[in-house]
Order: sequence, then structure tokens, then C-alpha cells
Amino acid sequence: MNEPSQYLGPMIKGTIDGLSITVRPGTVLLNAARTLGIHIPTLCHHEGLPPDGNCRLCVSQVGGRLVASCIYPLTADGFQAQTDNERIRYARSLVIALMLIRAPEAPVVVALAREYGVTEQPRLRRVTADGCLRCGRCVRACLTGGAEAVSLVGRGTARIVTGPFFEPPPDCVGCLSCARMCPTGIIGFTELFDRRQIWGRNFQLVPCPTCGRPWATEEELARLNADRLCPACRRRAMAEAISSCPTEN
Amino acid sequence: MTNPDQKTLNSILDGYPGEPVNLLPMLQAVQTKFRYLPREAIILVAEKLSLPKSRVFAVANFYRALSLTPKGEKVFTVCQGTACHLRGAPVVIGALEKALGLNLGQTSPDGRYGLESVNCLGACALAPVVTVDGVLHGAMTAKKAAKLV
Ligand code: SF4
Ligand code: FES
Ligand code: FES
Repeated sequence: MNEPSQYLGPMIKGTIDGLSITVRPGTVLLNAARTLGIHIPTLCHHEGLPPDGNCRLCVSQVGGRLVASCIYPLTADGFQAQTDNERIRYARSLVIALMLIRAPEAPVVVALAREYGVTEQPRLRRVTADGCLRCGRCVRACLTGGAEAVSLVGRGTARIVTGPFFEPPPDCVGCLSCARMCPTGIIGFTELFDRRQIWGRNFQLVPCPTCGRPWATEEELARLNADRLCPACRRRAMAEAISSCPTEN
Repeated sequence: MTNPDQKTLNSILDGYPGEPVNLLPMLQAVQTKFRYLPREAIILVAEKLSLPKSRVFAVANFYRALSLTPKGEKVFTVCQGTACHLRGAPVVIGALEKALGLNLGQTSPDGRYGLESVNCLGACALAPVVTVDGVLHGAMTAKKAAKLV
């Protein structure tokens, strides 16, 4: 996923941290680095979601330019990329310092701050530490699922994730993908037996027809058009189907 | 404020083909007519363009030219861009606040006046600049600004 396809032409050669690599034109720097086993820190990026390049944590250097690795397509033969040097570490430290204001307690942020030796900078402290990094992973998760019930609303420091009209989102199906995708885990939800609550909405959980465990909301099942089996029972049903398959020899 | 009825909204919006590129033009048309974007309008635009309400709401919320609460009939907009700020925008704002009896960003309770700010109108040579219902007034002073009211 995430490879732009508008680039055509022969394979291109270049180096990342001095290691040579040959890639299809348009390959995103982050992915190219990963095939070499080079680690670049990311936050707003997730393999399962459309890339957005908004947090700038993955900043690296191509030629003399700082670029966001997760969205930077390698297009020219002879590219020279660096993923770790003083300038890059400084840029990443700034990003982490900003994250530290918003989510000082989030384990991901704390770990990054420790790794990069970043401490809270009082000169930056002007926004509420609400635990949200505005990375939009929740919004992209929701959009990928097809509901697009919540969005990032407002500008600058006033930007927040919310439903339309700052109200509980009517299009939410209660699937929890936003909460699961959130790197700081700040999206609250509760599940009590057959009730689920998220974004101020209440959902009734439907029981699995085999084991009877309440596990998904009516709304998400309608969207998935699935067989209503809970994951455990679906796996068992699959295994049984496979094992009862007539074999050829 | 004018109350949005479905018929008026439809008459404004029906001329636009139901394609997402028309999102902003449609919101602008509603804004021009009602001086704000009624909730019904946002929902209707979302339906007509088959866009999620969340996205239409986010767009409606993003632009300064669009508003979710009714704007005044006569809107004074003071530029707070760098040039205007340096050449006395704060004084102009003070004068207008006094003359209108409003704080920056407010609309009078009777809905007749509004006082807003923008960041650079692209007329820096005329700084400080005030627009009244879109008409530009340059080289403002506290006195001249008060006279606009
Ligand atoms: S709630 Fe979580 S996933 Fe959504 S923008 Fe904030 S940090 Fe990112
Ligand atoms: S991970 Fe690349 S910009 Fe966020
Ligand atoms: S700063 Fe006011 S017009 Fe540019």
C-alpha cells in the first residue's frame, strides 16, 4: 500500500545511509529504508492507512533537503538519503518537544523523548495537554472503514477531532477502529457486557450466533455484511471447513 | 436573522451539480444568502454531494469567510496582518470596539453589526486597512475608523 503509481520508467539506484539500493521510481523513502532494515521513527504513519505526512517525526534528508520519509517518493536516479545525522535528530527533537506538550504521558511520546533526550520546554507550553497529537490516524481509520464519522475540525492549536457540530457523530458505527489506531490511546470507550460507548454514543452489542458472546454492534455488522460470528468462532468455522475439505491424494 | 427553510435552501443549492468540487461554492452561496451556514444547510449540502457530514462540517469550520453563527448585517473587518499591525491596527480596533460597543469577534445582539479581523488582505501598501462589507478603506486612523460606523 501507499506507493504512488504515477511514476513510470526504469528502476532507479541510490543510497540510504551509504547503503546502495535499487527501487521502483516512486517508492516512498520510508519503505525503501525498511527493506534495508533501517529504522525511521514514525507516528502519524500506519501501513493500513492512507499516508498523510502530517507529524514530521519521520523527517530524513535527501540531498540537502529535509523530507518526510513516509510520503517522500524517490524519483531520481542517484538519490542520496540519510536517515540519521545531527540535523535530522535536531528536527525530530523539535517535533517530539511539540508532542510532549500535547501528550506528556503517552508512552509512545515518553519513549521518543527519552530516546532523543528531549525534555519539556517551558517556552512552548501554550496549549492544553489533552493527549491528542492531531495525527489524524483515528480520522483516517474511520474514513478507511467507510464511515468518516469524525474529522479534524478547526485550525492551528484549536484543531480537535470531533463529530459534526461538535456533537456525538451520527455516522459512527461503534467499531472502535479510531481508538485502536490512536498512538496515544486517548480515545476513550467503555464496554460493559453487551453495551459499548464511544464518542458519546451508546451501542448495543450483538451476540455471536455460535458462542453467544456479545461482540460487535449491529451498525458495524450491517456495514461489514458479515456472518456475525465472533473472531474466535469464525476461526474455528474456517478451520473446520478446511479440515473437512476432500484432499486429492 | 433569516430562518432557513428547506425551499429556500433548495433553490440556492439546486443549481449545482452534485459533485464534490462544488462544496465550497455551495457553502459560499448559502453564506451569502443567510450570512451564516445553518445546520440544515450543512446537512443538505452533505446529502446533495454524497459527502460525509463530518467533512462538510470541517470545511465549513475551516474558512474565515464561512461562519456557523450569524454574522452582522454590516461587518467591519480589521486587518491584523504584519503591515497593518505595525501601522496601527490595534488602535483602529480599539476605536471600532468603542464606536460599535462590541469586542473583536462579536456580533451585536440585534444582528446589525459585526467586528472581525483577518490576517492580511493583500493591500499592505494601504495599511492599516479596514473593510466594511467587502469595501476596502485604507490608511485608517482611530478617527477615520469611527467615522465609518
Ligand atoms: S485522537 Fe489519537 S489518533 Fe486521533 S488525532 Fe489524536 S492522537 Fe491521533
Ligand atoms: S510519520 Fe511521516 S510525517 Fe508522520
Ligand atoms: S497586512 Fe493588512 S493588508 Fe497586508
